[in-house]
Amino acid sequence: MTKRPTLFSLILSMPLLLWQLLFFLFPLLFLVAISFWTVRNFQMQPDLNFGNWERVLTRGVFWDAYFRTMILATAAAAITSIIAFPASYAISFKMSEKAKRWMIFILIIPFFTSYLVRVYSLQVFLSDAGIVNAAFGYLGLGPFPMLNNAFGIIVGMITLTLPLVILLQTFSLNFVNRDLIEAAHNLRCGRLRTVFAVIVPSAKVGLVIAALFAFILSFGDFVSPLYLGGGNPPTLSIMITDFTKSGQQWPRAAVVAIMMIITLLTAAFAAITYAYKERGR
Amino acid sequence: MEANAQMEQHSEAIVTFDNVVKRFGDFTAVEKAHFEIGRGEFLAIMGSSGCGKTTTLRMLAGLEDPTEGAIYLDGEKVNGKATWDRDTPMVWQSLALFPFLTVQENVEFALKMRGVGKEERRQRAEKWLEKMQITEFANRNINQLSGGQKQRVALARALVTEPKILLLDEPLSALDAHLKVRMQAVLSNLQKDLGITFVYVTHSMSEAFSMADRVVIMSRGQIEQIGTPEEIYREPYNRFVAEFLGSANIFDGVVQGPAGADGWQVAYEGGETILPKSELPDGRQGQKVTFIVSAENMQLSLPDSGQPGIEASVAGEEFIGGTAMVFLETAGGQELKVQKSHDELSLLNLHAGSKVVVHWESGSCHVLPGENK
Repeated sequence: MTKRPTLFSLILSMPLLLWQLLFFLFPLLFLVAISFWTVRNFQMQPDLNFGNWERVLTRGVFWDAYFRTMILATAAAAITSIIAFPASYAISFKMSEKAKRWMIFILIIPFFTSYLVRVYSLQVFLSDAGIVNAAFGYLGLGPFPMLNNAFGIIVGMITLTLPLVILLQTFSLNFVNRDLIEAAHNLRCGRLRTVFAVIVPSAKVGLVIAALFAFILSFGDFVSPLYLGGGNPPTLSIMITDFTKSGQQWPRAAVVAIMMIITLLTAAFAAITYAYKERGR
Repeated sequence: MEANAQMEQHSEAIVTFDNVVKRFGDFTAVEKAHFEIGRGEFLAIMGSSGCGKTTTLRMLAGLEDPTEGAIYLDGEKVNGKATWDRDTPMVWQSLALFPFLTVQENVEFALKMRGVGKEERRQRAEKWLEKMQITEFANRNINQLSGGQKQRVALARALVTEPKILLLDEPLSALDAHLKVRMQAVLSNLQKDLGITFVYVTHSMSEAFSMADRVVIMSRGQIEQIGTPEEIYREPYNRFVAEFLGSANIFDGVVQGPAGADGWQVAYEGGETILPKSELPDGRQGQKVTFIVSAENMQLSLPDSGQPGIEASVAGEEFIGGTAMVFLETAGGQELKVQKSHDELSLLNLHAGSKVVVHWESGSCHVLPGENK
């Protein structure tokens, strides 16, 4: 199955290759190099100092932040996928072609406004004196703390990723062979059961990749943990800014960033392997 | 004759279509379908695309609901009954095998949905894998099978619940000619072995005629004729069926008067012939009559033989196995087909443009009843 790339295809892929070299691979290598530098008198000096790695990786505060970020991002990806699925299902299976097009358009609109603006407006909703708690107050409930905690962070992350996840899920559901659904019904599989026995496995690749995107975006998110989570205890992205602000510790920030990249690469590799795994020999 | 005897065996109907109509918006897909399917019968529904054959099958499967009329399955009216509450497994044109399941899991699917236990599921699936000769592929991924193997998996999956009826929607259309013939034999033998009813939708006459006990011919939502392949071939009901079968010459004539005790003298454009009275019992002078003569009953002579008949010239020739179909054109512009053996044709030494005389025995004329009401 291995094909040799033709000269034409190589030329076509040159812009992508150059872009990736200039703005991904070189900065990444530079990041790795920095992680071994030394900071003296708030000045960075090139060095081969393993101390940065040791200081970061042996401290409980790093691992607390690491697992906290991991759990938040995993929870956000899972919750977003679950909330998104019924909507994607409805768009893909229950709407006319015209309505589908409108829904896709509507789902793109959230990307027009800055994520930061949306998070600020969420503060208004979620604060103790905010709209949601005011509504609970009328019912004699609350106020519930919804800001400066994990709940706030996850609401922010869902806000960030939900439209994208619905779009990706909808596209993958559009490609589910409709004959398979009828065949399942015909073989005595009821409507709800068909969703889990046929539709989800058929759209598995798209659903997993949608969840992966939600995880990647949430894992690296800085805005929600800071403005809705209060920034303390820190997530990894907040830890990076903390390191750079306090004592110009760019090398330690680089260590955290590299750990994040390794985690995301592992997660992406595992997810894609799982998504494309086929049954049987 | 054999087909008739079979029909009597399954005189009891398993399926009844009672004046069934299906409309999609303004479009009428099926118009007043009214027929029965016998228990254990192999029924083919044939027609070109868009004729309503697949819609008819889908209504029987419960994938579409009739707009009017009633469908009875095993004595029970099934209008409005969902497909998952019926016992009408179907084999799809695309086969619709689940690519995310193994061969064995595909076959077990319907059993799993019915809550059959794991061990029993395995045993019953294995029995069908064996019957369809695909045991060795049990743990394979669907995408690694050939067309014929997939075909067998689809059959095993549909039959594993041992239904009384199996619906097939052009299942062989994706196969190459050689495999198609082999799978026809598999299907035909399977139906005889199991003794269950097969309802087989196809656009291919050779598939329908080689396998089915009876054939339903549809066109634009209407049923044009129902009968055994032999009946339809010998006695097509109307012009559509005759043209669809493609091997008959159609003539429009006018009755001139009686010809002897048991015939009618009939004039048509380009000649006159005698129609047997048995074909037109209550004919009268001046009556318009449409009749056919099948291509293999046509005789050819050279013009200098003195044989009376229609004069025509050869337009072309097409080989059909051991015989050839000769295409002729009359002076009046009518196209005629004559099927003859190669030996017979070589004696005439024909080539394009040759003049010939076409004639036939009066007994080989068949009046189209649907055109002479």
